[in-house]
Amino acid sequence: MIAAVSPRVSHVRRAAIWLGAMGVACSVWGQGNLPPKLAQQVQLCQACHGEGTRAPIPGAPWLAAQPRLFLENRLVLIREGLSPVDSMKGLLDAFKDDELTALAAFFSGLPAPASASPRDNAKAERGKFITDRALCSSCHLPSQAGREQMPRLATQREDYLLTTMRNMLAGKAAGRDTLMTNALGGMKDGDLQDIAHHLATMAP
Amino acid sequence: MKSTHLRLARLGLATLVVAGLAACATGPTSAPSVAAAPAAAPAAAAPPAWQQGRSAAMASSTLAPLPGKLTVTAAADIPVDRILVPAGFKVELWASGIPGGRAMVRAPNGNVYVGTRALGRVYEVADRNGQRTSRVVVDKLNQPSGVEFRNGSLYVMAIDKFLRFDGIETNPNAAPVDMTAAFNLPKEQHHNWKYIRFGPDGKLYVPFGAPCNICELPTQEYAQIRRYDPDGRNMEVIARGVRNTVGFDWHPQTKEMWFSDHGRDWLGDNTPHDELNRMTRTGLNYGFPYCHENGVVDPDVKKANACEGVTRPAQLMGQHSAVMGVLFYTGDMFPPSYKNGMFVVRKGSWNSHVKVGFDVQFVRLGADGNPAGMQTFMSGFHSPGTDSFFGRPAYAMQMPDGSMLVSDEQLGAIYRISYQR
Repeated sequence: MIAAVSPRVSHVRRAAIWLGAMGVACSVWGQGNLPPKLAQQVQLCQACHGEGTRAPIPGAPWLAAQPRLFLENRLVLIREGLSPVDSMKGLLDAFKDDELTALAAFFSGLPAPASASPRDNAKAERGKFITDRALCSSCHLPSQAGREQMPRLATQREDYLLTTMRNMLAGKAAGRDTLMTNALGGMKDGDLQDIAHHLATMAP
Repeated sequence: MKSTHLRLARLGLATLVVAGLAACATGPTSAPSVAAAPAAAPAAAAPPAWQQGRSAAMASSTLAPLPGKLTVTAAADIPVDRILVPAGFKVELWASGIPGGRAMVRAPNGNVYVGTRALGRVYEVADRNGQRTSRVVVDKLNQPSGVEFRNGSLYVMAIDKFLRFDGIETNPNAAPVDMTAAFNLPKEQHHNWKYIRFGPDGKLYVPFGAPCNICELPTQEYAQIRRYDPDGRNMEVIARGVRNTVGFDWHPQTKEMWFSDHGRDWLGDNTPHDELNRMTRTGLNYGFPYCHENGVVDPDVKKANACEGVTRPAQLMGQHSAVMGVLFYTGDMFPPSYKNGMFVVRKGSWNSHVKVGFDVQFVRLGADGNPAGMQTFMSGFHSPGTDSFFGRPAYAMQMPDGSMLVSDEQLGAIYRISYQR
């Protein structure tokens, strides 16, 4: 590593090297006729988040079919450093508000992904029981498709759901998620695992 | 700001990723079904405090907090012409491009400081020669909604941090003094974003909201209003049973404190009202969690004689209306009937199927010092016909010339209201 490189640039370089090492190869998907700059930005996202139905990086969530406002809020909070994602540190610094809005609109318009996890019926049933009891569908809707500022949970990646809920329960989710900290209050880690499995393996 | 070479590096990364890629399958992954017997129902976890008191009828409700907006709204996209004020008054867009801006405070040099919640920023809006420009004074804070200015210092209170910027009028880059330790901020975050003000006695007044919708308090440091010396010493709890106040002011003559308070959720569209309260003395109990507004006994958190000794609101402010800023008007620009009356801002309800608020109310006081009438002063943000809204007014602040600024948290804008005699 070159010592003179600024931390942010070195991060990008690390990401590039790492992607190269992965040897992952996916075509750009779903772009239609995007303006060139937006198309490049979309490609940057898809490098880690996949192509709407596949996410090659462990822990990276699906973006497809998420509510536009949820994605926009997440992008802003990540850029602002208020909801730090280690693997995205600095990546959004140069994005203006309207560019984040355009990215959010693009991914929001992609079709919902199918579940990537095999369903363990017993575990999923436990998760559904807790999900119903916790009234998750009040905000996320009975289909768990989400709306406006509230994310789609159905068929989201299980590891991402679990990590996110663990962070919320621990009060580590910044922004306005104090309400989610409260909503998950009193749950045990096993409860969160069951909920994540249920949501991740729901029928689309 | 981001340097150009970094942006190029980003695009280079994108190009690299794309250029080196061959096509790969994008079809949905099929989930093998696992044949397993359903487990017995798990042990019931205690319901979180947030949903206590939600009846069976309410359990299937999909009412949810209204979405905020964290991105810049261009001035051209702010429909000032749809905002309604009484005849003779004029509304203009005073500042925009400050997403999430809510409570405002003005420094003697004319700079206006504006706090936010989710976006974590405090803005400085400079007003020079009729033009407004803004910059971010501090960011990355956990809901820095409390802003105050006194003796040359800007005070910023977030949920878990309290900063003082000395001499910021002459030194825009003043490093903050961290005052957090002296104020003993409790750990629960929900309803603990702040509104702060120095009172007529020179003390700093700070609310500590209930960390739930409705609950027995986990510890006693919540649902109260405190005051401190400016350095954090001599803390006193001056009111209890206050669920979540985010706005207060002092009567210009009696020096009594008046404060808004948000009522609980999930009791239905018709109850309870949000409150405007009068603090005739310290040490009063305003009812939470047992008793709401004008004697509504809580159906979930019970005790005998729930409303005994509870101070009732001076004015009911509408069911679930999200009552925010309180401002006694002392200026000479508006007609004399406004003098020493209160502007009370209602950001607008979410926990009701009928939207309430999205306006600024004017509360006139009678000879006994209690409210003697309330009328809508500023409205038009909500359209009943389509049940849609474009803006959410949050706070009002009087300017030296007697005009009034009103912040719109939804659009990141500040309006100026003036009156032409």
